[in-house]
Amino acid sequence: MSGGMWAEKYRPQTLDDMVNQSEIISRLKNFVKDRNLPHLLFVGPAGVGKTTSILALARDLYGPAYRSYILELNASDERGINVIREKVKNFARTASIASQVSFKILVMDEADSLTNAAQHALRRTMEIYTRTCRFCLIGKYSEIIIDPIQSRCSIFRFAPLSERDMKGWIRSIAKKEGVSLIEEGLVAIYEAAQGDLRKATNLLQAAAATQKDEVDDIVIYSVLGRVSPGKVRELLNMGLKGEFMEARKILRTLLIDEGLAADDIIRMIYSEIMRLSIPERWKVKLSDTLGEIDYRLTQGARPEIQLSALVANLALAGEEMDR
Amino acid sequence: MTEENQPWTARFRPKTLVELVGNERAVRQLETWVRSWEKGVPKQRAVFLYGPPGVGKTVSVLALANKLGYDVMEVNSSDYRTRKNLDSLIGRSIHQRFTITGRRRMILFDELEGVSGREDYGGIGAIAGIIKATEIPVVLIATSIRERWEDKFRPLRDISLHIKYNPVPFSQILMRLKVIVEELGISVDEEVLELLADLSEGDLRSTINDLEAVARGKTRVTMEDTQNLAQRDRKDYTPDALAKMFSAKTLRDARRVVSSAHISYDDLYNWIYENLPIVLDNPLDLVEGMNALARADIHQTRARRTQSYRLLKYMFNEMTGGVALARRNSEGLGLVKMARQKIAEQGFPPRDFTITETPDGVMIKPNRYLKNDWRRVNEAVRSMGAVWVRRGGCWNLPYFRSPQQVWRYRRTWQSRRRRRSLAARVAEKCHVSSHEAVAEVIPLLKVIFEEDPFMAGDIAGWLGLEDGEVKWLKT
Repeated sequence: MSGGMWAEKYRPQTLDDMVNQSEIISRLKNFVKDRNLPHLLFVGPAGVGKTTSILALARDLYGPAYRSYILELNASDERGINVIREKVKNFARTASIASQVSFKILVMDEADSLTNAAQHALRRTMEIYTRTCRFCLIGKYSEIIIDPIQSRCSIFRFAPLSERDMKGWIRSIAKKEGVSLIEEGLVAIYEAAQGDLRKATNLLQAAAATQKDEVDDIVIYSVLGRVSPGKVRELLNMGLKGEFMEARKILRTLLIDEGLAADDIIRMIYSEIMRLSIPERWKVKLSDTLGEIDYRLTQGARPEIQLSALVANLALAGEEMDR
Repeated sequence: MTEENQPWTARFRPKTLVELVGNERAVRQLETWVRSWEKGVPKQRAVFLYGPPGVGKTVSVLALANKLGYDVMEVNSSDYRTRKNLDSLIGRSIHQRFTITGRRRMILFDELEGVSGREDYGGIGAIAGIIKATEIPVVLIATSIRERWEDKFRPLRDISLHIKYNPVPFSQILMRLKVIVEELGISVDEEVLELLADLSEGDLRSTINDLEAVARGKTRVTMEDTQNLAQRDRKDYTPDALAKMFSAKTLRDARRVVSSAHISYDDLYNWIYENLPIVLDNPLDLVEGMNALARADIHQTRARRTQSYRLLKYMFNEMTGGVALARRNSEGLGLVKMARQKIAEQGFPPRDFTITETPDGVMIKPNRYLKNDWRRVNEAVRSMGAVWVRRGGCWNLPYFRSPQQVWRYRRTWQSRRRRRSLAARVAEKCHVSSHEAVAEVIPLLKVIFEEDPFMAGDIAGWLGLEDGEVKWLKT
């Protein structure tokens, strides 16, 4: 069976296909029935169905040609307030030509990475073009969205997927694709993905590519070892052992050869630190250091230097643990 | 020396004004000022040319002097520029407007940024004195007229005419490279020339150096040949300055590297970062040194953000003194140890190699004929930065290596460009941001493309990938 990335192939197409977030889905269905929408603000962790919900809603609302009535922007890619202003305005000001729906939908993903200035510009745009366009803002944290925008939106909080829902979903994909996934493999996927269904699905697909027989936890870990979070763990281990030169080499691979953004690396380091078996006191200490570095990077500091300093400091943690 | 044997920077150094590239306005201004001396001593007796290295400041003075029939008395950083020495060097000649053969005369003080406060004591004051008394044109040259951290040129600034030289534009550098390549009769791919011009940052001289590095002795040059380019150490004297810095016992001695390394402080910073773990081989020292370097980074960020360049001195203190004085428990350069370890890892007994320190670094000399093992050893020691010296029959591991992240960026530029275009495609198809595509999706795609050609083909079709992108994902 073919069809590209499984995460897309099995993305629910309509609101009826959605298996979780049932309360949110039933409210969204009412909007479709009324053929009307408020501005929406979807908040919640990654891979729990925020983007899927709005795409499914659009399909239910406009039918198969829904693509022409919806514009997806990603705030973290569309840098600069001017780009946003122009693209948003151009899309928002022209009226919908769908007979029964009078508005189009603009989806702004990762809206919590918009600057304050951009959010204020957006707020005015939302007001001016309400007649022809509805906004669906998506983000992880609602706190970062300015109050005036929050007060103009219906807020939907997406809960992390339950272990049962997530495992059930992955199991069903594995079955449809003919992957023999055993329980140990499923548990490993669940733990690595931490409630992120897209991540889990991609991981399953990569594991299936490497192993034609049985996919167990060892297969999953070997795939994880080959992608960035696995390398981040190696980086931390080298740091703890005091192997600075080796650690720096890995850091450079991540930053330069793999082109990861510094804040992605920080995010991965953070979650790896939380999982390390080091004294709890050190977790707090390292989290504090990481917070300092994270702030420094927002101020324009050099990522490689700041992360190298963190790695050097890990040696102290490692030494104390040896004692 | 025949023309062919000359370094290309000398061979293609402009001898006449017509051959000069860039800074036309500055040169015109300079000519007007020199010509004004024909009507007697003008109000401003000195001209101060300033601008980045390699844009033609010195060359334009020499070419102009040639054209107008001047003899040039040149004083540069190879001369001690103390008050006493300058007086004996220049002496009364500032009152003699013509040579015995009847040619006009002028004085050129070149590379003034290298005048140091201590070794060249009183130098700047002496030059100011010369300007006030001179009856012949005095030309001053420095990379900057107002140094950010110590305003030593102030006495000269007030009594001279300032002419600014700018970096040579990309297009003009590219054109000049094409002319040179044509004259040499070698075929160099257009994209190589573009890369060189791009890396030049307006410094024509260093670009010609780089061209020579990749093209000397070849008849055809492709992108392949540029791989080693950045590994070349363009400034030979930087390692010496670094060695002094790392062994400094006072902040003041360590700080001196900022002016003596003759590279920008950003480059210097990268050099220090690159070599710090080699020098600080004790983890405690390393932590302290690395923290100092990170603090230096912060000070620089603040200086830039607030445009308060006086804050840079704090950066300099941290990156030099902070690093050098962190060295308390470290044994030394640790390179011998590193080399021994590398050799041992390859499974050779210690008696097979002599590993000793030399003035340039560490020598790794095989004590027996290695035959087929040579390649393996070479690969291992090259990863530390050692190079095989055929004449000596040994490897040399230099004390300090040039910043690696720079050439790594250059080596991987094509791959990074490919990743960017791929990320945009994945972002659109998978409804994620492109940085998420890079962090989360592409690494898994690489696993799939390496392992399962069938699934890979399916995904390639779905994403609409080109052959080049598929190939990139497979490697």
